[in-house]
Amino acid sequence: MYDRNLNRRDFLKAAGALAAAGSLPLTSVELAFADPRKNFTFAYISDSHIQHIKGDKFVRNWDRGLIRAVAETNLLQPKPDFVVFGGDLAQLGSKPELDHGMEMLSKLDYKVHGVLGEHDYYLDLGEYWSKLFGDHYSSWDHKGVHFVVLNSILTHDEWTFDRWPTAEQRMSEMAGLDNPNGSPFMVGERQREWLRKDLSRLKKNTPVVVFSHSPIQKIYKGWNFWTDDAEQVQEILKGFDDVTVVYGHVHQIQYNQIGNISFHSVMATAWPWPYPQSYAQAKQYLPKLTIPMNRADPFFERDATGWQMIDMDNGRVALNYNLYDNKNRVVAFNAKSGQPEDSWYQEGERQIPPQTHY
Amino acid sequence: MNRIILSLALLIGSVGVILGAAGQSRAGEPPLGLPPVPIPADNPQSPAKIALGEKLFNDKRFSSTSMVSCSTCHAAEKAFTDGPLSVSEGIQGLTGTRNAPTVVNAAYLTTQFWDGRSPSLEDQALHPFLNPVEMGLPDHSPILAIVRSDDDYAKAFKDVFDVTGEKITMTEVTKAIASFERTQIAGNSPFDRWYFTEAATLNEAQLRGFGLFVNEGRCVSCHRVEQTQALFTDNRFHNIGVGINNIQKEVPEIAGAFLAAEATLAEVDVQVLSDVRTSEIGRFAVTRGFDDLGSFKTPTLRNIALTAPYMHDGSLATLREVVEHYNNGGVTKPGDPVNDFLSGGIRPLNLTEQQIDDLVAFMEALTSPEIAALVPKSPSGK
Amino acid sequence: MKTFFAVGLAAIALVGLGIAVHADEFTKEDAARWQAEYMTRVEAGRALWVSADLGTNGVVCAQCHPNGANTHPETYPKFQQQLGRVIALREMINWCILNPLEGEPLDVQSPEMVAIEAYLAWERRGVELSPGKH
Repeated sequence: MYDRNLNRRDFLKAAGALAAAGSLPLTSVELAFADPRKNFTFAYISDSHIQHIKGDKFVRNWDRGLIRAVAETNLLQPKPDFVVFGGDLAQLGSKPELDHGMEMLSKLDYKVHGVLGEHDYYLDLGEYWSKLFGDHYSSWDHKGVHFVVLNSILTHDEWTFDRWPTAEQRMSEMAGLDNPNGSPFMVGERQREWLRKDLSRLKKNTPVVVFSHSPIQKIYKGWNFWTDDAEQVQEILKGFDDVTVVYGHVHQIQYNQIGNISFHSVMATAWPWPYPQSYAQAKQYLPKLTIPMNRADPFFERDATGWQMIDMDNGRVALNYNLYDNKNRVVAFNAKSGQPEDSWYQEGERQIPPQTHY
Repeated sequence: MNRIILSLALLIGSVGVILGAAGQSRAGEPPLGLPPVPIPADNPQSPAKIALGEKLFNDKRFSSTSMVSCSTCHAAEKAFTDGPLSVSEGIQGLTGTRNAPTVVNAAYLTTQFWDGRSPSLEDQALHPFLNPVEMGLPDHSPILAIVRSDDDYAKAFKDVFDVTGEKITMTEVTKAIASFERTQIAGNSPFDRWYFTEAATLNEAQLRGFGLFVNEGRCVSCHRVEQTQALFTDNRFHNIGVGINNIQKEVPEIAGAFLAAEATLAEVDVQVLSDVRTSEIGRFAVTRGFDDLGSFKTPTLRNIALTAPYMHDGSLATLREVVEHYNNGGVTKPGDPVNDFLSGGIRPLNLTEQQIDDLVAFMEALTSPEIAALVPKSPSGK
Repeated sequence: MKTFFAVGLAAIALVGLGIAVHADEFTKEDAARWQAEYMTRVEAGRALWVSADLGTNGVVCAQCHPNGANTHPETYPKFQQQLGRVIALREMINWCILNPLEGEPLDVQSPEMVAIEAYLAWERRGVELSPGKH
């Protein structure tokens, strides 16, 4: 026996409500707008991990993820101002992989900014990447917001230049997330200096958004959900009113607030990763704020993967997760509480069993 | 003497089972392989309500030409479909864009229509009456005029709902129809008897087919089988690449235009049946979510051998063609490009010809004997 | 009686030398050695966990399950939706080899399958059994 008390209007509204973030037209987040001209949207696609098998064969699963993200991004109305690719376009940094990934990305109708991931970098140290995307780190201004791209997956010089006999081996050692032969990510002194200078000319109230592959936090070292000089980078960002860091690498929903800085991770288009708490043998520090993504059904290859639309509202970010086979989610900065919150699931009772990871 | 009485009792008993309303087992038990049928609290079953519902279901007067009833497209002798039609024909032979799904076991579905735009059997019944290519009525008042004035109907509504005259509304009408539909449930196929009770065996091909169904065929995740029951559907929506491949290039235009029009619910109902291109965007028309582009509801596979042709547009005539479509990885013609929005569960299967035949053989073991008995000249489940 | 006494003395002497002579006896050294033998299979399982030879598309188990995370060996046997029935862990391992790795399932009784299970159990050591937990 069940109570059929839904009329069709309510039913359709419920079915469609949380699809709002993934539908046309956009922006499901209401924030206080001081100056509407300051508000705009950009799309974020990340971690496609295009993986070469042999000849012209690539892993079909990861290809489909990027194809779909690109096709859906092209359907967006209103159109986003630009697209960011968040890193790990390739799996082993090879030219065929980068080319195959670029071929899919080039179907986007927008300008694409690229962020380096470790899977793109450690074969040729980003040489081919530069030809496709330009500088490894850079900044630009857009509608009053200062955007920065960092190469945050560098590591100790000794590991990068001296330890491995071949570039291929170096790449494969870094490619294993749980490989004990890996080495922690960092931004490094040179970029920190550059960042300090780059930001020094800005007024304190200029919104700053940093695109990074590694989290600029210390979450779990075993899987390099980690930036070794996180505190030093955060220190440089401290002096500004509205700072957001958007990062890839973790293949899952994470968000956090440290002081004045909001942190938002993006999903992978390729595959999901477990939350650190599901590894029983080590301590980890997933931000308490984060309501985890739903667990994946491995039968549906796109489950627990996705891409994002990011609304800039008044200098702060609302991140719309477009999730396949799941209700879409919105994690937006809440001005009252001063931290990012999930617009639906943040309250305890609304959370659903698939968000329990163990 | 005792033996004769016993044999007679057994004979009468078994005849009673065969002739009984399809699917109704002794003592209200659900059919073998199925859970109890969900009954809403505000629409309990009763024999009188079921009989009223059946009468309404078959009444051709509820159409603008007085020639079309629910049973026109959902005919008992065709397992409650209208095969071999690919898409249904309503008044004046007007066609829509979608294949009539079977009513059998629709009671177990959590939404109705191929795109799930209706939350219940009661709600679903409202819409074909008003659709210009189905019954073609301008509104429901002709139906109400008939049921309020016809002596037999008036008596039945008084009996069942204790309402007369103006108090008879579409709520009562659709409750009765839904009530009848909830008796059209059937399990007890050769598969059920083998899998859940070991009272029967399947032949070699069917057994191999079941193994493929769970393993290399990758069927079971959507066409669900569980430890104690098998609905053969997950009640979810997936783009498996039927139909949408025809409009791949036009998706941005169709999706955008559809939203710009900001269709109301009734308008969705009309648009998806009147325009093939709109029909192909599937559940997107209902939810406007990217996830639902080109996606349609997983139908049950129970009695599938009796409900050809297949898919939302009836475009695949045989079960073999269906399996080939899946084997090709979500395209009907091998080598055709796959649409961008294909479900992550669909991929090329690399099955051999023998394996394809085995899957078809397995699906033929999902026929319920009581449904087979309704269909003339059909093989009644082995 | 004398024989019995003699055997008893011999037994005590042998035990004193660290040689277990009765069915229910094993020494600390035995236990340590057997644990080490288990660890060799854990290592073999880890090698398979990162091996592209299990599948045909280059994908390895560790790509989605670093350190065996999210495999939940402590919950098996359990109902597995992807197979439609209650199964043991090894059947799910084979499901993953067949599906995301596009490979041939292993023989469930093979040393390779035991090695993978040994590795997963090791990475999940200390976690309470929760059979059937979804």
